[in-house]
Amino acid sequence: MIRPSQPDIDSPDRPAHIDANVNPRLVKTHAPLAFAALLLSACGGGGGDSGGTTAATTPASPPPADVGAPAVESRPPAPPNPQTVAGASTTKFTSPANQTDVARFFSQATLGANRDQINAFGTSTYDAWLTSQFSQPLTQSHCSWMTANGYTSVANLFDGLDNSLWRKLISSPDTLRQRIVLALSEIFVVSANGITGYSPQLVVGHFVDLLEANAFGNFRTLLNDITLSPAMGTYLTYKGNVKSDVVNGSRPDENYARESMQLFTVGLYLLNPDGTPVLVNGAPVETYGPDDVTGLARVFTGWDLDTSNFPIDDPRVYQIPMVPRQKDFETGSKTFLGSTIEAGVQSAASCAACLSQALDILFNHPNTAPFFSRQLIQRLVTSNPSPAYVSRVAAAFRDNGAGVRGDMKAVIRQVLLDDEARSPVVSVAPGFGKLREPMVRFLNWARGFNVTSASNVWGVGDLSDTVTGIGQSPMRSPSVFNFFRPGYIPPQTAMGANGLVGAEFQITNESSLASYVNFMRRAVAGSGIDDVLPDYSSLMPIVADSSALLAELNTVIAAGQISTSNLALMKAALDTIPVTTPAGIRFRINASLVLIMSSPQYIVQK
Amino acid sequence: MVKETHHFPGLKPDNSARREFLRRTGAMSVLASATPWAATLAAMSEAAAQTATDYKAIVCIFLAGGNDHANTIVPYDDASYSTYSRLRGSIGLPLSSLTPTLLKPTIPLPGARTFALAPALSPLLPVFNAGDLNVLLNVGTLVQPLTKTQYTNKATRIPPKLFSHNDQQSYWQSSAPEGAMSGWGGRMGDLLGSANGTSSFTSVSVAGNAVYLSGQSTAPYQVSTSGPIPILGITSPLFGSTACSTLLSNLIRQPSNQLLESTHSAIGARTIDLYGQLSPALAGSSMTSTFPATPIGSQLAMVAKMIAARHALGTRRQIFYVQMGGFDTHENMGSVTGAHATLIGTVADAMASFHQAATDLGVSNQVTSFTASDFGRTLSINVGGSDHGWGSMHLLMGGAVSGKGFTGTAPVFADGGPDDIGQGRLVPTTSVDQLGATLGKWFGVSSTDLLYVMPNLANYSVKDLGFMKS
Repeated sequence: MIRPSQPDIDSPDRPAHIDANVNPRLVKTHAPLAFAALLLSACGGGGGDSGGTTAATTPASPPPADVGAPAVESRPPAPPNPQTVAGASTTKFTSPANQTDVARFFSQATLGANRDQINAFGTSTYDAWLTSQFSQPLTQSHCSWMTANGYTSVANLFDGLDNSLWRKLISSPDTLRQRIVLALSEIFVVSANGITGYSPQLVVGHFVDLLEANAFGNFRTLLNDITLSPAMGTYLTYKGNVKSDVVNGSRPDENYARESMQLFTVGLYLLNPDGTPVLVNGAPVETYGPDDVTGLARVFTGWDLDTSNFPIDDPRVYQIPMVPRQKDFETGSKTFLGSTIEAGVQSAASCAACLSQALDILFNHPNTAPFFSRQLIQRLVTSNPSPAYVSRVAAAFRDNGAGVRGDMKAVIRQVLLDDEARSPVVSVAPGFGKLREPMVRFLNWARGFNVTSASNVWGVGDLSDTVTGIGQSPMRSPSVFNFFRPGYIPPQTAMGANGLVGAEFQITNESSLASYVNFMRRAVAGSGIDDVLPDYSSLMPIVADSSALLAELNTVIAAGQISTSNLALMKAALDTIPVTTPAGIRFRINASLVLIMSSPQYIVQK
Repeated sequence: MVKETHHFPGLKPDNSARREFLRRTGAMSVLASATPWAATLAAMSEAAAQTATDYKAIVCIFLAGGNDHANTIVPYDDASYSTYSRLRGSIGLPLSSLTPTLLKPTIPLPGARTFALAPALSPLLPVFNAGDLNVLLNVGTLVQPLTKTQYTNKATRIPPKLFSHNDQQSYWQSSAPEGAMSGWGGRMGDLLGSANGTSSFTSVSVAGNAVYLSGQSTAPYQVSTSGPIPILGITSPLFGSTACSTLLSNLIRQPSNQLLESTHSAIGARTIDLYGQLSPALAGSSMTSTFPATPIGSQLAMVAKMIAARHALGTRRQIFYVQMGGFDTHENMGSVTGAHATLIGTVADAMASFHQAATDLGVSNQVTSFTASDFGRTLSINVGGSDHGWGSMHLLMGGAVSGKGFTGTAPVFADGGPDDIGQGRLVPTTSVDQLGATLGKWFGVSSTDLLYVMPNLANYSVKDLGFMKS
């Protein structure tokens, strides 16, 4: 009955390319074909019994070019000729071959890029671009901006937070950092929806500032900083947590102990270095049990807000780490995950030392590297990475090449430079890629077309609503389990039949799908989201030529992933919108963006 | 590959029957896997559907986060209350506050055990006294009957990942931890949905995707609290172009060999098609009962509207899912007033309104609601809150419920008592399997088919908890 949280999609019968990383030639030649064959054979013998709509083995006829015809799209493009591919580079994909490659890299490494940024990539290597991004300075912090713009109210308002989050996600030049921060915010989850008390938006803003500061740092420091943040202390309720009281039977709150293990570090099941579950007699092995939770909960006692310099309602209290409140510290020994922290004393130093030891145990646990690595891959590149890919990223986590564990730069490099991320051959396997999150799609457009807010208010607001918004908004997760779970399998799908997970499908349904399309329809037209407006000047010279317009959007927005036949359908439809007036010009641009951004070929990042 | 927990080894799949089943249920485009039980399912569905000529609905009201049962259904008899009061400290409800909502069932509990509704649940007291509300005692996730001793000895199967939110939510809804692909609501839909003119509305969520509603062939439909959402670029010309509107529709639903794209397209097709069916049906129906302007109130109002539209939709069996969050009360629970009282009070107000609406619509005997949650909580407290537990107390509501009563066994509230596995966490004495089976039997699922709905049911000697009148 026990099932792994990550379904065993990575079982030994996975296709050849997964185990073939020692042979780059094999990776780039036969593997995707084997993968495709496996998937197709697994879903009902080529789809005959299922009606053949999802798993046809032969490409369908090209759809008629007239607008509105049933458009059965045959994807992927014909698998590359092994001879051709074998003749290509057999080393890693170090540089883009064309601008589509640049755009595809940006779709994984950024929240969107405009034409100038794509052009500016030039002949750079991916690695050099990452290096330059790693040295990008931090821009004005959320807390600084909210303070400067008068959002320091102690009242329970989040408008300043939403504005500041959108401001940086849309416009901050450290584009890699912003993408990583958004990813980290979905692994180490704090939600504005669960923060009450003084200065709640500064509490959450400070947390995001910490993610920014640590995005290119070390995982261990990141773990320390979020653990001591007023945000996490509040959200997972260990701020003010006190030792057991033998008189009234109260116990330390187990909330952070449980979730920090389950979600932030070691996960539920013992993992191999490649992220697959360790199996004993065919069953996964639980990483920890209730006693471990109780043991670790004793560590997270005696921490509270630092009011030594400011009163409790001063906003500055919420922008500094929590400090020991030694009288509440559980001094007895703590046993969890097979380790024991010796008994301490009722002192601040002992309280802090105990916490440090506990975080070391979590950081150094063998699970942490593959557990975190797999999730970061899933946020950036693909929902179903091969075990070999996870293994390579986890190896970078364990050792950055200079003996340092937890170097985030090394981890990020491996996620984005790995052959499985970069290979244009791997990417056409029918199960590769990930659903772009609704908020990332919005940001793709916003960054693609230089969206600005003339008032500098950035009043996009909370987009969580599934009627008026897009069903998702940064730092607005419904719980610490994020908007969706990494192991979510959309039911009754060929994905499910093939054991493929797709986290983002957990928030995809008849309501959110419609509201997203409606929201983008308003956004691209520049109506309905305050003064947050795009700049389409780069499109003006080509708007009369629908093919050129679509080609540009296909690169800038969709990383070249809209098929030729769909582009033809779109051209025919767009040509019905005359561009003889300024309104017509704008209508054609708006419509082209809605068509592209509503297409599954765009919505699935490959 | 998909793993399933239930099989019907005596029956071999027959492809022609399976194709017919897929055709008839409209599942061809989404059900791509080879499902060995599909032919069996089709036959079961055929037989079950023939009996479903009336209308029945089951409504799952999920309290996400793990509701604190001890401050919801409060032990009242002297011995139990004494333990409760001592362990609960500042968050304990004073006895005097409970007296007005003391539950006086038609048949008293053994051992003179008594319980009171928390004061915030007082809107439901009249429903209880009218015989339309039953309290399910110490219910939780199990694989088979379990005693504290068996739990301690670790030799008896128990659900995986106890006390973990996401896994226990999943297990409550599906009998499997996170990653499960079908739940017991959806599996009932598999059996009975073909009675519906529009099987797409067999299982309906007003609260996001929930595994509870997914069956092997039953796909949940998601409706917002303001009804189905039109894609405005399709229902009207896209920036003035009907050609662009038509293409937009075709792109959103465009089939693909790319598996993620095809998954998204299937949802897109449903979005467009079902809006076209549901929108006029709702517009042509009337539901005038009032609901509180809360998220859970709005969700239950939409359920009532869809029930009101049952004739237009041709639905005879429906499973609904609504949800409210915020129940993970590790701190600041409060007592008679405060955070937890507000939470359960909000639920109670919405439930009372929903019961009235069902009465107004003339279907109170045909609509059965139940509450569910991740787990119960500890009886002992942290500072001002409680921690993750296991067994819990839940509510069953509707005219067909044998009300003004309790179901199951009252747990012993005592330190280290026979039901306490530590900190007042309860070993459930009634399982979700039994709950689902009892509801399923009322819904029209045959006793043999109940094993398909609740795969662990065979492990229990009592398969009908008796809380439904028929």
